[in-house]
Amino acid sequence: MRVLITGMGGELGTRVANLLEADESVTEILGMDLFPPRRRIVRSEFHRVEPTDRRKAVRLVRDFDPEVILHLGVFEPHSRTSPSEARRGTAASAVSVLGAAAKCPSLQAIVVRSGIEVYGRSRGAPTRPDEAVPVDPTSPFGQSLAHVEQVATEAGDVAGVPVTAVRCAPIVGPSIPSPLGRYLRLPVVAVDPLSELPFSLLHQEDACTALVAAARAGHDGPLNVVGPGAVTASQVVLMGRKVPLPVFGPGWWAASAIAELQGAPLPPHSRELLIRGCTADGSLARAVLGIEPRSTHDVVTQLYRWDSVARPEPSGQVAPR
Amino acid sequence: MSTSLLRRGVPGAQLAAHVHRRARGAFDVDEWGLDPELVSLANPVFALRWDIEVRGAEQLPAVGGAVLVFNRRFGISEPWVVARGIRQATGRFVRTVGVPDTAPIGPFVRRFGGVLDRTDEIAGLLRAGQLVGLPMSRDVRSRERVGHLEVERLEAALETGAPVVPVALVGRELGRAWTIVVGEPVPPVTDGGPLAAAELAEHTHRAAQLLLDESLPTSWWF
Repeated sequence: MRVLITGMGGELGTRVANLLEADESVTEILGMDLFPPRRRIVRSEFHRVEPTDRRKAVRLVRDFDPEVILHLGVFEPHSRTSPSEARRGTAASAVSVLGAAAKCPSLQAIVVRSGIEVYGRSRGAPTRPDEAVPVDPTSPFGQSLAHVEQVATEAGDVAGVPVTAVRCAPIVGPSIPSPLGRYLRLPVVAVDPLSELPFSLLHQEDACTALVAAARAGHDGPLNVVGPGAVTASQVVLMGRKVPLPVFGPGWWAASAIAELQGAPLPPHSRELLIRGCTADGSLARAVLGIEPRSTHDVVTQLYRWDSVARPEPSGQVAPR
Repeated sequence: MSTSLLRRGVPGAQLAAHVHRRARGAFDVDEWGLDPELVSLANPVFALRWDIEVRGAEQLPAVGGAVLVFNRRFGISEPWVVARGIRQATGRFVRTVGVPDTAPIGPFVRRFGGVLDRTDEIAGLLRAGQLVGLPMSRDVRSRERVGHLEVERLEAALETGAPVVPVALVGRELGRAWTIVVGEPVPPVTDGGPLAAAELAEHTHRAAQLLLDESLPTSWWF
């Protein structure tokens, strides 16, 4: 099986590549991204491609002629790029790669990384939507993800192949660059205790497992990947032994500005999550993909524990000059 | 909080343990916002406000979802009475439909089990094996008549195959004493089709009215 991974330079992309490299049925892996891979890749081929460089992306995709496309080239605002760059990069990458893939003769399946932000949190929106609920994004990131899904569906229709939109709950973890993770790790965290609704989180490793399983399953349609349980913003802050600062209405403007000065800008979709909540019904994905994502409580615990961050003890020896 | 204080039965130790746990964020909130520990903390207040007798609780499933269709007059006490009464009788939480999606009321009521009035919301709860309390429309003029039942909401029960159980509430808005009478589940409509939900609603309405007629005291005014 020849697999094309876009967004291989991200935390998810590199880990997905590592998981696929361990699978002998995957014969070739081609990766592309704006950034180089974050870990060592063994047998994948990587190409650095600007999201707006359509010619290069189209040529690479057509020459490779993939059987499966894992489109992870989705840029979260304030994750590693600014909101405007993220929006432009996500749109350009989806159009060029998925557009080119639609004309590849060997293509069998398309898997795109999406998020439950596509359901939106407008007034009266369902609290825990399943895949049958129509998308109605209310944040720029949700709109970007909905656009990626739309492009992928069009490409799938042209190519006559199944398209799986893996709608992940907000992904956090010890090493993934996430604006929400950065914000929640601040010493003092603004919350709105009178308005907040629960949200679910997904561990980065569970997201990768789901994406790899989706590449094998060939399911046609969206799948919500959400672990069991939920938490509120105040609860997360207390679990992390941080100081919750109650903020209401326009106070969020000041809180966001101060957080940005501290290096943890809060994009609209993360603020929406903290106030209006964000969760979904993940039972279909569990049945189709055979995955069991860890609970949101566990994800929060690991977010603060930073288990996988190596802290080597100083040996006391000084290297000679 | 030291567990030895709890074991020795020191007054207030239980409450202090709850507060300590909450200060560390060590409590559960489900996806719809229910906070079971907060409900148990508020139990003494509810006990002061309502004295509830429950009859026929054995009609409710021990596990799995079910829709409890109940009458209401003014609709202020009834959702709380149903939730508290059924919880006392069965140990299960009832998610009452009809919470406004506006802060701070909405998020506050959700902590006690309230959910939005949407068919897909009810279907999601039933799939998750929850008991859903579905109020009929208000009838402020007469306590002897049950209100109308919105047909669309019962589509969730048909979609998930959950039983629909009529429940009659007898009590006064300003009084303490309330009685909850749980009826037999309404036989499921087997032929399906577009009329299925309407027929189910009709059967449920009739069953709830019968139950209320039987439950009302004959000498109500005395």
